[in-house]
Amino acid sequence: MKILFLFILIFHISHVNADEIYNLIKIPNLEIYKLKNNNNIRYLSAKRNFKIGINKNISCDKVNINNLNTKFPLIEKNLNLYNSNFLNKIKLKYIVFCENLFISEINTGGLPDNKNRTLIIDINFNQKYFERMIHHEIFHMIQNSHRNFFNENEFSSLNKNSFNYAECSTCSDKLNLDLYENTDGFLTEYSKSIPSEDMAEIFSFLMTDKDIIKEKIKNDRILSNKINFIKFSLAKIDKNIL
Amino acid sequence: MIKSINVSKTEKILFIFLICLAIFAFTSFFLLKNKCLFVEKNNLNKLKFDEPNNIAVMNVECGNVIIELYPDISPKAVKRFKNLIEQKMYDGSAFYKVSENTFVQAGDIEYGNINNLDYSKIGSGKSGLGLLKSELSNDFIFTEGSVGLARTIEFDTEDSEFFIVLKEIPIYQGEYTPIGKVIRGLDILKKIKTGNKAIYVLRPDYIKTFRMFNSN
Repeated sequence: MKILFLFILIFHISHVNADEIYNLIKIPNLEIYKLKNNNNIRYLSAKRNFKIGINKNISCDKVNINNLNTKFPLIEKNLNLYNSNFLNKIKLKYIVFCENLFISEINTGGLPDNKNRTLIIDINFNQKYFERMIHHEIFHMIQNSHRNFFNENEFSSLNKNSFNYAECSTCSDKLNLDLYENTDGFLTEYSKSIPSEDMAEIFSFLMTDKDIIKEKIKNDRILSNKINFIKFSLAKIDKNIL
Repeated sequence: MIKSINVSKTEKILFIFLICLAIFAFTSFFLLKNKCLFVEKNNLNKLKFDEPNNIAVMNVECGNVIIELYPDISPKAVKRFKNLIEQKMYDGSAFYKVSENTFVQAGDIEYGNINNLDYSKIGSGKSGLGLLKSELSNDFIFTEGSVGLARTIEFDTEDSEFFIVLKEIPIYQGEYTPIGKVIRGLDILKKIKTGNKAIYVLRPDYIKTFRMFNSN
Protein backbone atom coordinates (compact mmCIF):
# COMPACT_ATOMS: atom_id res chain seq x y z
CA MET A 1 0.00 0.00 0.00
CA LYS A 2 2.79 2.40 0.91
CA ILE A 3 4.55 1.63 -2.36
CA LEU A 4 1.36 2.31 -4.30
CA PHE A 5 0.89 5.62 -2.47
CA LEU A 6 4.52 6.58 -3.19
CA PHE A 7 4.09 5.70 -6.85
CA ILE A 8 0.98 7.89 -7.14
CA LEU A 9 2.76 10.73 -5.34
CA ILE A 10 5.84 10.57 -7.60
CA PHE A 11 3.65 10.46 -10.70
CA HIS A 12 1.80 13.58 -9.66
CA ILE A 13 4.94 15.50 -8.72
CA SER A 14 7.02 14.68 -11.78
CA HIS A 15 4.51 15.16 -14.58
CA VAL A 16 5.03 18.02 -17.00
CA ASN A 17 1.95 20.12 -17.44
CA ALA A 18 1.43 20.02 -21.18
CA ASP A 19 -0.01 23.45 -21.79
CA GLU A 20 0.22 26.04 -24.54
CA ILE A 21 3.10 27.98 -22.96
CA TYR A 22 5.17 24.84 -22.48
CA ASN A 23 4.54 24.04 -26.13
CA LEU A 24 6.00 27.42 -27.06
CA ILE A 25 9.05 27.94 -24.84
CA LYS A 26 9.53 24.51 -23.22
CA ILE A 27 9.17 25.70 -19.63
CA PRO A 28 6.33 24.09 -17.67
CA ASN A 29 4.04 25.53 -15.01
CA LEU A 30 3.94 29.11 -16.29
CA GLU A 31 1.11 31.57 -16.64
CA ILE A 32 0.79 34.91 -18.37
CA TYR A 33 1.66 37.89 -16.17
CA LYS A 34 1.54 40.71 -18.75
CA LEU A 35 1.22 40.22 -22.48
CA LYS A 36 0.74 43.61 -24.12
CA ASN A 37 3.77 45.87 -23.92
CA ASN A 38 5.15 48.64 -26.12
CA ASN A 39 8.33 46.75 -26.94
CA ASN A 40 6.42 43.47 -27.53
CA ILE A 41 8.09 41.74 -24.62
CA ARG A 42 5.88 39.18 -22.86
CA TYR A 43 6.01 38.58 -19.13
CA LEU A 44 5.28 35.14 -17.69
CA SER A 45 5.37 33.89 -14.13
CA ALA A 46 5.82 30.50 -12.50
CA LYS A 47 2.56 29.32 -10.99
CA ARG A 48 4.29 26.19 -9.68
CA ASN A 49 7.90 25.15 -9.17
CA PHE A 50 9.65 23.89 -12.29
CA LYS A 51 12.76 21.98 -13.31
CA ILE A 52 14.22 22.12 -16.79
CA GLY A 53 17.45 21.41 -18.66
CA ILE A 54 19.61 18.37 -19.07
CA ASN A 55 19.17 16.15 -16.01
CA LYS A 56 16.73 18.80 -14.72
CA ASN A 57 19.69 20.80 -13.44
CA ILE A 58 17.84 24.13 -13.59
CA SER A 59 15.22 24.66 -10.93
CA CYS A 60 13.08 27.57 -9.87
CA ASP A 61 10.17 28.09 -7.50
CA LYS A 62 6.76 29.58 -8.06
CA VAL A 63 6.39 33.30 -7.54
CA ASN A 64 4.56 34.96 -4.73
CA ILE A 65 2.32 37.25 -6.75
CA ASN A 66 2.43 40.06 -4.17
CA ASN A 67 6.20 39.93 -4.25
CA LEU A 68 6.17 40.12 -8.05
CA ASN A 69 3.62 42.95 -8.09
CA THR A 70 5.95 44.95 -5.85
CA LYS A 71 9.03 44.36 -7.99
CA PHE A 72 7.46 44.45 -11.44
CA PRO A 73 7.48 48.26 -11.98
CA LEU A 74 11.27 48.30 -11.50
CA ILE A 75 11.75 45.35 -13.84
CA GLU A 76 9.47 46.86 -16.48
CA LYS A 77 11.20 50.23 -16.24
CA ASN A 78 14.53 48.58 -17.02
CA LEU A 79 13.24 46.41 -19.84
CA ASN A 80 11.48 49.38 -21.43
CA LEU A 81 14.97 50.75 -22.19
CA TYR A 82 15.06 48.29 -25.10
CA ASN A 83 12.96 48.75 -28.22
CA SER A 84 11.19 45.87 -29.97
CA ASN A 85 13.51 45.96 -32.96
CA PHE A 86 16.56 45.54 -30.75
CA LEU A 87 14.90 42.78 -28.72
CA ASN A 88 14.08 41.00 -31.95
CA LYS A 89 17.72 41.18 -33.00
CA ILE A 90 18.95 39.71 -29.73
CA LYS A 91 16.19 37.08 -29.70
CA LEU A 92 14.48 38.10 -26.50
CA LYS A 93 10.70 37.94 -26.27
CA TYR A 94 9.76 36.21 -23.02
CA ILE A 95 10.68 37.15 -19.47
CA VAL A 96 9.94 34.37 -16.99
CA PHE A 97 9.63 35.33 -13.32
CA CYS A 98 10.31 32.82 -10.59
CA GLU A 99 11.99 32.64 -7.19
CA ASN A 100 15.18 30.91 -6.04
CA LEU A 101 16.71 30.12 -9.40
CA PHE A 102 19.42 27.46 -9.25
CA ILE A 103 21.62 26.11 -12.03
CA SER A 104 23.42 22.94 -11.00
CA GLU A 105 22.87 23.93 -7.38
CA ILE A 106 24.41 27.38 -7.88
CA ASN A 107 22.09 30.25 -7.04
CA THR A 108 21.88 32.73 -9.91
CA GLY A 109 19.94 35.89 -10.75
CA GLY A 110 19.06 35.18 -14.33
CA LEU A 111 19.28 32.62 -17.07
CA PRO A 112 19.32 33.71 -20.72
CA ASP A 113 18.15 31.29 -23.40
CA ASN A 114 18.39 32.71 -26.92
CA LYS A 115 17.11 29.51 -28.48
CA ASN A 116 13.74 29.88 -26.80
CA ARG A 117 13.96 33.73 -26.79
CA THR A 118 13.60 33.63 -23.01
CA LEU A 119 15.22 35.22 -20.00
CA ILE A 120 14.42 33.65 -16.62
CA ILE A 121 14.71 36.12 -13.73
CA ASP A 122 14.85 35.31 -10.03
CA ILE A 123 12.82 38.12 -8.49
CA ASN A 124 14.40 37.41 -5.11
CA PHE A 125 17.91 38.19 -6.36
CA ASN A 126 19.85 40.63 -4.15
CA GLN A 127 18.00 43.95 -4.54
CA LYS A 128 21.26 45.89 -4.34
CA TYR A 129 22.32 44.49 -7.72
CA PHE A 130 18.90 43.62 -9.11
CA GLU A 131 18.66 46.24 -11.87
CA ARG A 132 22.22 45.62 -13.00
CA MET A 133 21.59 41.88 -13.03
CA ILE A 134 18.78 42.33 -15.57
CA HIS A 135 21.06 44.21 -17.99
CA HIS A 136 23.96 41.88 -17.26
CA GLU A 137 21.88 38.89 -18.38
CA ILE A 138 20.56 40.79 -21.37
CA PHE A 139 24.13 41.40 -22.43
CA HIS A 140 24.68 37.65 -22.51
CA MET A 141 21.74 37.42 -24.91
CA ILE A 142 23.27 40.20 -27.01
CA GLN A 143 26.61 38.42 -27.13
CA ASN A 144 25.09 34.99 -27.79
CA SER A 145 23.17 36.33 -30.76
CA HIS A 146 26.08 38.41 -32.16
CA ARG A 147 29.24 36.47 -31.30
CA ASN A 148 31.15 37.99 -34.21
CA PHE A 149 30.71 41.53 -32.82
CA PHE A 150 32.07 40.69 -29.38
CA ASN A 151 35.31 38.84 -30.02
CA GLU A 152 36.60 37.77 -26.62
CA ASN A 153 40.26 37.53 -27.67
CA GLU A 154 40.16 41.07 -29.00
CA PHE A 155 38.48 42.26 -25.80
CA SER A 156 40.94 40.38 -23.56
CA SER A 157 43.88 41.97 -25.34
CA LEU A 158 42.79 45.34 -23.90
CA ASN A 159 43.90 44.17 -20.43
CA LYS A 160 47.43 44.34 -19.05
CA ASN A 161 49.66 41.58 -20.47
CA SER A 162 50.10 40.11 -17.01
CA PHE A 163 46.38 39.59 -16.45
CA ASN A 164 44.61 36.30 -17.18
CA TYR A 165 40.93 35.51 -16.81
CA ALA A 166 39.76 32.29 -15.12
CA GLU A 167 38.80 29.20 -17.13
CA CYS A 168 35.10 29.71 -16.47
CA SER A 169 32.82 32.06 -14.53
CA THR A 170 32.04 29.52 -11.80
CA CYS A 171 35.56 28.11 -11.45
CA SER A 172 36.71 31.41 -10.00
CA ASP A 173 35.99 32.73 -6.52
CA LYS A 174 35.80 36.27 -7.90
CA LEU A 175 32.08 36.74 -7.44
CA ASN A 176 31.72 40.11 -5.69
CA LEU A 177 29.47 42.53 -7.58
CA ASP A 178 30.38 45.72 -5.69
CA LEU A 179 31.91 48.54 -7.71
CA TYR A 180 35.66 48.91 -7.16
CA GLU A 181 36.87 52.16 -5.68
CA ASN A 182 40.02 51.83 -7.78
CA THR A 183 38.88 50.17 -11.00
CA ASP A 184 42.23 49.44 -12.69
CA GLY A 185 40.56 48.01 -15.81
CA PHE A 186 37.73 46.23 -14.01
CA LEU A 187 34.49 47.56 -12.54
CA THR A 188 33.85 44.67 -10.13
CA GLU A 189 35.58 41.57 -8.86
CA TYR A 190 33.22 39.46 -10.97
CA SER A 191 34.51 41.30 -14.06
CA LYS A 192 37.80 39.47 -13.56
CA SER A 193 36.23 36.02 -13.96
CA ILE A 194 35.92 35.65 -17.74
CA PRO A 195 35.75 38.09 -20.72
CA SER A 196 32.00 37.71 -21.30
CA GLU A 197 31.25 38.49 -17.64
CA ASP A 198 33.60 41.47 -17.81
CA MET A 199 31.71 42.78 -20.86
CA ALA A 200 28.34 42.07 -19.19
CA GLU A 201 29.37 43.97 -16.07
CA ILE A 202 30.44 47.00 -18.14
CA PHE A 203 27.19 46.89 -20.09
CA SER A 204 25.11 46.65 -16.90
CA PHE A 205 26.74 49.82 -15.52
CA LEU A 206 26.34 51.60 -18.85
CA MET A 207 22.60 50.87 -18.72
CA THR A 208 22.08 51.80 -15.07
CA ASP A 209 24.68 54.40 -14.10
CA LYS A 210 26.49 56.13 -16.95
CA ASP A 211 27.71 58.92 -14.69
CA ILE A 212 29.77 56.54 -12.57
CA ILE A 213 31.32 55.12 -15.71
CA LYS A 214 32.21 58.61 -16.95
CA GLU A 215 33.90 59.31 -13.67
CA LYS A 216 35.79 56.02 -13.56
CA ILE A 217 37.23 56.20 -17.07
CA LYS A 218 38.86 59.58 -16.43
CA ASN A 219 41.80 57.83 -14.82
CA ASP A 220 41.45 54.33 -16.28
CA ARG A 221 42.60 53.96 -19.87
CA ILE A 222 42.04 50.19 -19.99
CA LEU A 223 38.46 50.55 -18.81
CA SER A 224 37.92 53.38 -21.26
CA ASN A 225 39.11 51.19 -24.14
CA LYS A 226 36.88 48.37 -23.02
CA ILE A 227 33.86 50.66 -22.89
CA ASN A 228 34.62 51.97 -26.36
CA PHE A 229 34.85 48.37 -27.57
CA ILE A 230 31.40 47.59 -26.13
CA LYS A 231 29.85 50.79 -27.45
CA PHE A 232 31.33 50.31 -30.91
CA SER A 233 30.11 46.70 -31.08
CA LEU A 234 26.64 47.56 -29.80
CA ALA A 235 26.28 50.34 -32.35
CA LYS A 236 26.51 47.69 -35.06
CA ILE A 237 23.28 46.21 -33.70
CA ASP A 238 21.46 49.39 -32.65
CA LYS A 239 22.93 52.90 -32.61
CA ASN A 240 20.48 54.20 -30.04
CA ILE A 241 20.72 51.58 -27.33
CA LEU A 242 23.37 53.42 -25.29
CA MET B 1 -46.01 -27.29 4.98
CA ILE B 2 -45.53 -23.75 3.68
CA LYS B 3 -47.83 -23.01 0.72
CA SER B 4 -46.54 -19.55 -0.21
CA ILE B 5 -43.99 -16.93 0.93
CA ASN B 6 -45.25 -13.42 1.42
CA VAL B 7 -42.80 -10.79 0.13
CA SER B 8 -42.42 -7.89 2.48
CA LYS B 9 -42.65 -4.26 1.31
CA THR B 10 -38.95 -3.65 2.04
CA GLU B 11 -37.97 -6.63 -0.09
CA LYS B 12 -40.10 -5.34 -2.95
CA ILE B 13 -38.40 -1.92 -2.80
CA LEU B 14 -34.98 -3.53 -2.66
CA PHE B 15 -35.80 -5.70 -5.68
CA ILE B 16 -37.00 -2.70 -7.72
CA PHE B 17 -33.91 -0.75 -6.69
CA LEU B 18 -31.60 -3.55 -7.87
CA ILE B 19 -33.43 -3.80 -11.21
CA CYS B 20 -33.07 -0.01 -11.70
CA LEU B 21 -29.41 -0.14 -10.76
CA ALA B 22 -28.79 -2.94 -13.27
CA ILE B 23 -30.53 -0.99 -16.06
CA PHE B 24 -28.61 2.16 -15.18
CA ALA B 25 -25.26 0.33 -15.10
CA PHE B 26 -25.96 -1.44 -18.38
CA THR B 27 -27.00 1.72 -20.28
CA SER B 28 -24.24 3.81 -18.73
CA PHE B 29 -21.65 1.30 -19.88
CA PHE B 30 -22.71 1.66 -23.51
CA LEU B 31 -23.32 5.42 -23.32
CA LEU B 32 -19.97 6.17 -21.71
CA LYS B 33 -18.13 3.85 -24.04
CA ASN B 34 -19.40 5.78 -27.04
CA LYS B 35 -17.50 9.07 -26.72
CA CYS B 36 -19.09 10.37 -29.93
CA LEU B 37 -22.61 10.30 -28.55
CA PHE B 38 -24.35 13.71 -28.60
CA VAL B 39 -21.74 15.12 -31.03
CA GLU B 40 -23.00 16.62 -34.27
CA LYS B 41 -21.55 14.64 -37.17
CA ASN B 42 -21.84 17.47 -39.80
CA ASN B 43 -23.44 15.81 -42.80
CA LEU B 44 -21.71 17.31 -45.85
CA ASN B 45 -24.75 16.95 -48.10
CA LYS B 46 -26.57 19.52 -46.01
CA LEU B 47 -23.79 22.11 -45.98
CA LYS B 48 -23.16 25.00 -48.36
CA PHE B 49 -20.36 27.56 -48.30
CA ASP B 50 -19.69 30.88 -50.02
CA GLU B 51 -16.12 29.92 -50.89
CA PRO B 52 -16.06 26.12 -51.16
CA ASN B 53 -12.55 26.24 -52.64
CA ASN B 54 -11.24 27.25 -49.24
CA ILE B 55 -13.17 24.70 -47.22
CA ALA B 56 -11.45 21.52 -46.03
CA VAL B 57 -13.17 18.56 -44.39
CA MET B 58 -11.30 16.48 -41.87
CA ASN B 59 -13.06 13.24 -41.02
CA VAL B 60 -12.20 11.77 -37.62
CA GLU B 61 -13.81 9.14 -35.41
CA CYS B 62 -16.67 11.33 -34.21
CA GLY B 63 -17.51 13.06 -37.49
CA ASN B 64 -16.53 15.81 -39.89
CA VAL B 65 -14.56 18.87 -38.86
CA ILE B 66 -15.06 21.74 -41.31
CA ILE B 67 -12.13 24.13 -41.69
CA GLU B 68 -12.16 27.42 -43.57
CA LEU B 69 -8.73 28.24 -44.96
CA TYR B 70 -7.28 31.76 -45.10
CA PRO B 71 -5.13 32.12 -48.25
CA ASP B 72 -5.24 35.91 -47.92
CA ILE B 73 -3.43 35.77 -44.58
CA SER B 74 -0.91 33.00 -45.28
CA PRO B 75 -0.87 32.25 -49.03
CA LYS B 76 2.15 29.92 -49.11
CA ALA B 77 1.15 27.94 -46.04
CA VAL B 78 -2.43 27.48 -47.26
CA LYS B 79 -1.16 26.42 -50.69
CA ARG B 80 1.04 23.78 -49.01
CA PHE B 81 -1.84 22.64 -46.79
CA LYS B 82 -4.19 22.25 -49.76
CA ASN B 83 -1.50 20.42 -51.71
CA LEU B 84 -1.03 17.89 -48.90
CA ILE B 85 -4.80 17.43 -48.56
CA GLU B 86 -5.23 16.88 -52.30
CA GLN B 87 -2.45 14.30 -52.27
CA LYS B 88 -4.25 12.55 -49.36
CA MET B 89 -1.07 12.84 -47.31
CA TYR B 90 -2.98 13.56 -44.10
CA ASP B 91 -5.08 10.40 -44.26
CA GLY B 92 -4.15 8.29 -41.25
CA SER B 93 -2.19 11.10 -39.60
CA ALA B 94 -2.16 10.74 -35.80
CA PHE B 95 -3.09 13.40 -33.25
CA TYR B 96 0.05 12.56 -31.37
CA LYS B 97 0.33 15.81 -29.43
CA VAL B 98 -2.80 16.80 -27.53
CA SER B 99 -3.37 19.03 -24.54
CA GLU B 100 -6.85 18.65 -23.08
CA ASN B 101 -9.17 21.52 -24.03
CA THR B 102 -6.12 23.44 -25.27
CA PHE B 103 -4.90 22.13 -28.64
CA VAL B 104 -4.58 19.08 -30.88
CA GLN B 105 -1.68 18.54 -33.26
CA ALA B 106 -1.26 16.17 -36.21
CA GLY B 107 0.33 16.08 -39.65
CA ASP B 108 3.68 14.33 -39.24
CA ILE B 109 3.58 12.56 -42.55
CA GLU B 110 6.83 10.65 -42.18
CA TYR B 111 6.63 9.28 -38.63
CA GLY B 112 3.08 10.09 -37.52
CA ASN B 113 0.90 7.95 -39.75
CA ILE B 114 -1.22 5.46 -37.87
CA ASN B 115 0.02 2.66 -40.14
CA ASN B 116 3.64 3.54 -39.54
CA LEU B 117 3.92 5.24 -36.13
CA ASP B 118 7.45 5.81 -34.89
CA TYR B 119 7.17 7.05 -31.31
CA SER B 120 10.89 7.78 -31.10
CA LYS B 121 10.84 10.17 -34.05
CA ILE B 122 7.30 11.47 -34.12
CA GLY B 123 7.17 15.22 -34.53
CA SER B 124 10.37 15.38 -36.57
CA GLY B 125 9.05 13.93 -39.83
CA LYS B 126 9.11 15.73 -43.15
CA SER B 127 6.66 15.89 -46.03
CA GLY B 128 9.40 15.92 -48.66
CA LEU B 129 8.13 19.25 -49.99
CA GLY B 130 10.68 21.35 -48.09
CA LEU B 131 10.39 23.85 -45.26
CA LEU B 132 8.27 26.98 -45.48
CA LYS B 133 8.99 30.49 -44.26
CA SER B 134 6.80 31.54 -41.35
CA GLU B 135 3.96 33.82 -42.39
CA LEU B 136 3.30 35.60 -39.12
CA SER B 137 0.47 38.00 -38.55
CA ASN B 138 0.47 40.39 -35.64
CA ASP B 139 -3.25 40.93 -36.16
CA PHE B 140 -4.37 37.32 -36.14
CA ILE B 141 -5.58 36.21 -32.72
CA PHE B 142 -5.64 32.47 -32.10
CA THR B 143 -9.22 32.19 -30.91
CA GLU B 144 -11.05 28.90 -30.31
CA GLY B 145 -10.82 26.77 -33.45
CA SER B 146 -7.92 28.61 -35.11
CA VAL B 147 -5.62 26.42 -37.18
CA GLY B 148 -1.89 27.08 -37.44
CA LEU B 149 1.13 25.43 -38.96
CA ALA B 150 3.41 23.93 -36.32
CA ARG B 151 7.16 24.54 -36.34
CA THR B 152 10.26 23.69 -34.35
CA ILE B 153 11.52 26.27 -31.83
CA GLU B 154 13.01 28.07 -34.85
CA PHE B 155 10.92 30.13 -37.24
CA ASP B 156 10.83 29.23 -40.96
CA THR B 157 10.67 25.52 -40.20
CA GLU B 158 7.00 24.92 -41.06
CA ASP B 159 6.28 21.87 -43.19
CA SER B 160 3.17 19.68 -42.85
CA GLU B 161 2.32 19.55 -39.15
CA PHE B 162 -0.60 21.64 -38.00
CA PHE B 163 -2.43 22.34 -34.77
CA ILE B 164 -5.91 23.46 -33.86
CA VAL B 165 -6.50 25.43 -30.67
CA LEU B 166 -9.51 24.50 -28.55
CA LYS B 167 -9.55 27.77 -26.60
CA GLU B 168 -8.27 31.28 -27.17
CA ILE B 169 -4.48 31.36 -26.79
CA PRO B 170 -3.34 35.00 -26.97
CA ILE B 171 0.32 34.10 -26.53
CA TYR B 172 0.34 32.40 -29.94
CA GLN B 173 -0.34 35.71 -31.69
CA GLY B 174 2.61 36.48 -33.94
CA GLU B 175 4.25 33.17 -33.05
CA TYR B 176 2.67 30.74 -35.51
CA THR B 177 1.51 30.86 -39.13
CA PRO B 178 -2.30 30.94 -39.15
CA ILE B 179 -3.93 28.94 -41.95
CA GLY B 180 -7.62 28.86 -41.08
CA LYS B 181 -10.32 28.22 -38.56
CA VAL B 182 -12.70 25.44 -37.65
CA ILE B 183 -16.20 26.62 -38.52
CA ARG B 184 -17.98 23.38 -37.59
CA GLY B 185 -17.06 20.41 -35.45
CA LEU B 186 -15.04 21.87 -32.63
CA ASP B 187 -16.87 19.52 -30.24
CA ILE B 188 -15.55 16.62 -32.31
CA LEU B 189 -11.98 17.77 -31.74
CA LYS B 190 -12.59 18.00 -28.00
CA LYS B 191 -13.29 14.25 -28.04
CA ILE B 192 -9.83 13.43 -29.41
CA LYS B 193 -7.79 11.25 -27.09
CA THR B 194 -5.40 13.12 -24.81
CA GLY B 195 -2.22 11.91 -23.16
CA ASN B 196 -3.69 12.54 -19.71
CA LYS B 197 -1.19 15.08 -18.36
CA ALA B 198 1.59 14.26 -20.78
CA ILE B 199 1.77 16.19 -24.03
CA TYR B 200 2.33 13.09 -26.20
CA VAL B 201 -0.39 10.53 -26.70
CA LEU B 202 0.16 6.80 -26.68
CA ARG B 203 -2.05 4.94 -29.18
CA PRO B 204 -3.47 8.24 -30.49
CA ASP B 205 -6.63 9.03 -32.44
CA TYR B 206 -6.06 9.80 -36.09
CA ILE B 207 -7.49 11.51 -39.18
CA LYS B 208 -9.52 9.06 -41.26
CA THR B 209 -9.66 11.24 -44.36
CA PHE B 210 -8.86 14.86 -45.13
CA ARG B 211 -10.38 16.31 -48.31
CA MET B 212 -11.20 19.66 -49.86
CA PHE B 213 -14.96 20.23 -49.71
CA ASN B 214 -15.21 20.40 -53.51
CA SER B 215 -13.84 16.91 -53.92
CA ASN B 216 -16.53 15.35 -51.69
